[in-house]
Amino acid sequence: MDPVSALSQAVEAAPAVVAAASTLDELNDAESSLLGKESAVGQVRRSMGELEPSMRPTVGAKLNEATQAIESLLSSRRSELDAAEEERRLRAEAIDVTLEAISLPIGSLNLVQQTIDEVVDIFVGLGYQVAEGPEAELAWYNFDALNTPANHPSRWENDTMYLDWGDPEDEVLMRAHTSPVQARWMEQNEPPTFIVVPGRCYRLDTIDATHLPVFHQIEGLAVDTDIQFGDLKGTLLHFAKEFFGAQSEVRLRPHFFPFTEPSAELDVSCFNCDGGEPGCRVCGGAGWIELLGCGMVDPNVFEAVGYDPAQVTGFAFGVGPERLAQVRHGIDSLRYFIENDVRFLRQF
Amino acid sequence: MRVPLSWLKDFIELPTADVEEITYAFDMLGLTVDGVENLDIGWSGVVVGRVIDVAAHPDADKIRVCQVDSGSGPEQIICGAWNFDAGATVAVAKPGALLPGDFEITRRTIRGVDSNGMICSEAELGLGEDHSGILVLDGNPEIGVDFAELVELPDVVFDLDVTPNRPDALSMIGVARDLGAYFDIDHHVPPVELTTVKGATDIAVQIEDAVGCRRFTAREIRGVKMGTSPLKVRHRLHKVGTRAISNVVDATNYVMFELGHPLHAFDADSIAGGRLTIRRAQDGETIVTLDGEERELVPEDLIIYDDDGPTSMSGTMGGARSEVSASTTRVLMEAASWDPPTIMRMWRRHDLRSEAATRFERGVDPELADIANKRASALVAEWAGGEVLEGAVDEHPTPVSPAHVTLSLGEVERLLGPGFEADGVTRILERLGMEVKGSEPMEVTVPTFRPDVTRPADLIEEVARVHGFDKFGASLPTGPAGGLTPAQRRERTLRSTLASIGLDQAVNLPFVGEDDVAVFGAEELLEVKNPLSDEEAKLRPTLLPGLLRSVRYNISHGVSSVGLFETGKVFFTDPDPMDSRLPRQVDRLGWVVAGKVGPQMIGSAAQDADGAVSLALWRRLADALGLRDYSLTPAAPAGYHPGRTAEVTVAGKAVGFVGELSPRAARSFDLEGRVAAAELDMSPLVAPVAPVEMAAPSPYPHVDFDLSFLMERDKTVDAILAATKEAAGSLLERAVVFDEFTPEELGENKAVAIRYRLRAPDKTLTNEEVAPVREAMIAAASDIGAKLRGL
Repeated sequence: MDPVSALSQAVEAAPAVVAAASTLDELNDAESSLLGKESAVGQVRRSMGELEPSMRPTVGAKLNEATQAIESLLSSRRSELDAAEEERRLRAEAIDVTLEAISLPIGSLNLVQQTIDEVVDIFVGLGYQVAEGPEAELAWYNFDALNTPANHPSRWENDTMYLDWGDPEDEVLMRAHTSPVQARWMEQNEPPTFIVVPGRCYRLDTIDATHLPVFHQIEGLAVDTDIQFGDLKGTLLHFAKEFFGAQSEVRLRPHFFPFTEPSAELDVSCFNCDGGEPGCRVCGGAGWIELLGCGMVDPNVFEAVGYDPAQVTGFAFGVGPERLAQVRHGIDSLRYFIENDVRFLRQF
Repeated sequence: MRVPLSWLKDFIELPTADVEEITYAFDMLGLTVDGVENLDIGWSGVVVGRVIDVAAHPDADKIRVCQVDSGSGPEQIICGAWNFDAGATVAVAKPGALLPGDFEITRRTIRGVDSNGMICSEAELGLGEDHSGILVLDGNPEIGVDFAELVELPDVVFDLDVTPNRPDALSMIGVARDLGAYFDIDHHVPPVELTTVKGATDIAVQIEDAVGCRRFTAREIRGVKMGTSPLKVRHRLHKVGTRAISNVVDATNYVMFELGHPLHAFDADSIAGGRLTIRRAQDGETIVTLDGEERELVPEDLIIYDDDGPTSMSGTMGGARSEVSASTTRVLMEAASWDPPTIMRMWRRHDLRSEAATRFERGVDPELADIANKRASALVAEWAGGEVLEGAVDEHPTPVSPAHVTLSLGEVERLLGPGFEADGVTRILERLGMEVKGSEPMEVTVPTFRPDVTRPADLIEEVARVHGFDKFGASLPTGPAGGLTPAQRRERTLRSTLASIGLDQAVNLPFVGEDDVAVFGAEELLEVKNPLSDEEAKLRPTLLPGLLRSVRYNISHGVSSVGLFETGKVFFTDPDPMDSRLPRQVDRLGWVVAGKVGPQMIGSAAQDADGAVSLALWRRLADALGLRDYSLTPAAPAGYHPGRTAEVTVAGKAVGFVGELSPRAARSFDLEGRVAAAELDMSPLVAPVAPVEMAAPSPYPHVDFDLSFLMERDKTVDAILAATKEAAGSLLERAVVFDEFTPEELGENKAVAIRYRLRAPDKTLTNEEVAPVREAMIAAASDIGAKLRGL
């Protein structure tokens, strides 16, 4: 057969041969049989040297054409088979996605820590710094600097934990609030003062659902030349909206604390019901949640720490992160906060 | 304090009867409403009637036939009570009336005689316990009126939480005064009218402790006939939560609730020697109080004595010996003013929280003493008969005078903001009983019943309170430059890293007992002087006992693998470097891990939480904190596994230990198996670190080779790594230990296999360049006793 016809025939036969290959191995065999040394194309390629010189361009062109046509067939078949092979493998490798075959370790930040961080972040956003201080503290900072009368019951040994340490003149106790840190801060820093003070506090309370001998408090203090009562309200309103949601409203009710004048309690509108829903788990139908104590800093406090009450005014507040977390998450007992039961901790 | 609306109406006419509005007013005044009780009428159809005639029943001798006029002529009613006669005014339940317990009154025939209703006892009306007879009404009420009016029903009682700075608000008049200011209306205080007879009490009073007793007034009432107080009074007392006892005692309580000044009535004939002396108690003395309890007195107690010893605990509770009784005819009415701290400590010491003590501890106005005394004496005379002697005792060793405070409007506005006027401020202060002269500044005279108001700031609080906290706007001041310090930010990184690698953050009580810490070798512990219990008497010198207890708690609740960390203070007995007046307190990080840890794969065994895990946690943490300059040295303090614990040094400073608990320490906390533990000082971990200078990753190929060394078991891998790294110099990119084992045939030696990677920053390394480096590394290892082993 003349080489050109042989090539034509080979090209004609090729699609069937290529299609017959159903695996990559068979396709390799098909490739040998179509383009290998012993194939029709191969034989023409080998015999090129023996051809008449005048024939060579024609046959050569035909040979290239045939080779390309077959290679193209092979290549597209190879893609098909590759895709099928890939699909087969992927199907075989399928796993049960509902099975937790590998579990990476999961830990948690304590809910109180999360709450403190969140509150701190809200106030940091308002330009507050975070102050810290000792937990074993001088009675002077815990009481005297904060305008607590000498005979105030909070000083008594059935309310406050005293330490058997040091000079009896400088009585040392476990701080009953984080407020002594505000006194220490003001002694060291000139106004304006915008600080929050998170930390642990101690009281002589037996553990039950509503009492802990050790708990946390976040104290806030803002002092400047022109802080007014409305600033206290606005600041706590901002806090309530950030923490409980933009729908929140606050109300202040007069109260009494030795270190503020006027003093107030802050209620925040219930985030759980639209207000006054009977039996609401959060507000009990009152529509308001009692949240924290606050007030305008008493001039005696300023005098005790060396600020001039004629020059500056300020407000202070103290909020319990445990209380905030209880309200938000429906935690009905304070015991959870000290048991460290991971079944509790990991929920948050 | 419980405040019935009916009683309040004696002193103020409120512009609203709406309970919610009144509650809001109280809340806004700072008299927080803890509860509102609606007192309904428990019956219907009961009216006032007069008994016109009482006759024997023809066929029964325990009951009588009465003719009762309740507004529509005489009706016949059969009655079984004998405590009344014709002419008595009574409460009549007419046919159709409904008494408590759904008891309907009908016309019936009792032993052949018709009965058209019932004459009621207090018990039958649900008003009291008295079954002994029917209720005979006092005060001559009008026939036919609804009986409910006499006991002021229906009524609303507000339960107010009065803050400790407000002694004045523990009275109906004080509450009325605040409401008057809130609603901007008048309240009225009726003048006390006391009729006296000539003569003076012969009871002498001597105050030996003028600090404890600021004033003592006493007034004698003779010819008293003990009995019950008027129905309305008994029911008012009942509504405020006090039992009606007798006309004399009720008079003291009634005046206390009305004016806020507690009183005490002595049986004057029971005052031994006719003499009262006020002084502090002596050790060993006892008194039997009104409640029948015998109380041991301590030298700080302030006591009223007569010639036979202690006879009354001042300001808290009277004594049984001089108590008024049914046979009392001569009453000595005491209204005295006591030192608040003295009373505060005394009632707490004796667990005697009485209504009187609650008021005295806040500071009752001494100026009110004689007014209260006169009012109570007048009521005794009115309710129990008798004559009040003109000559009374009034010892007043330490008179108080009203405070004078200068208030400028500018000061008000500086604190409260603009919008106040002198007129408005004056009006508010005057409504609260203050006298105001002038307008700029205002010269304010504060009545003695407001001991809490002594400075401009206190007046401004009053202005704000009455103006209404709800009327202030809200503004938002911001600080000059906020933010966390670098150390505070790094503390957050530290905590979130530990949480992200599987530990849960615990918060433990920082108390320990000696037994908890003995295993950790702690000796001197900081002691609480007044602990809750022996187990909580010391402050922790280490975080580990708390963490271990919490791990144990979880295991005992079925959580078999637990990893907890805690950040918090530990306490020591030496002085704190920051403030030497305080004991040293150090912020620490601790962790305890028990059970299995790490990624877990179904079907494969997980890693035990051991020393190696602890060290892995440390390395991960150090990486997150960017701590590169640290070292680990084998060392273990008490309580740790001596072979599985390292001392951590950061920037040349020892910061704590990371490793595994000793089996004995673990067992002492009831933990079986291995327990990973660590405790580190926080401040060196979170101290800012110098920024890293970038090393450009080389684009050239690397050369890897493995070296396996044989070394003594107590030599550290770190030592080989350090020696070989130094020998390799800058070409060494990394060195990873990929095997470490101790086959028996090696005896006291262990094998360590390390894969080294060399790479040059500026060229492709050739074999000729690598070979001498490799030889130098082997030689360096050999110098520290690690021999190359055939791989």
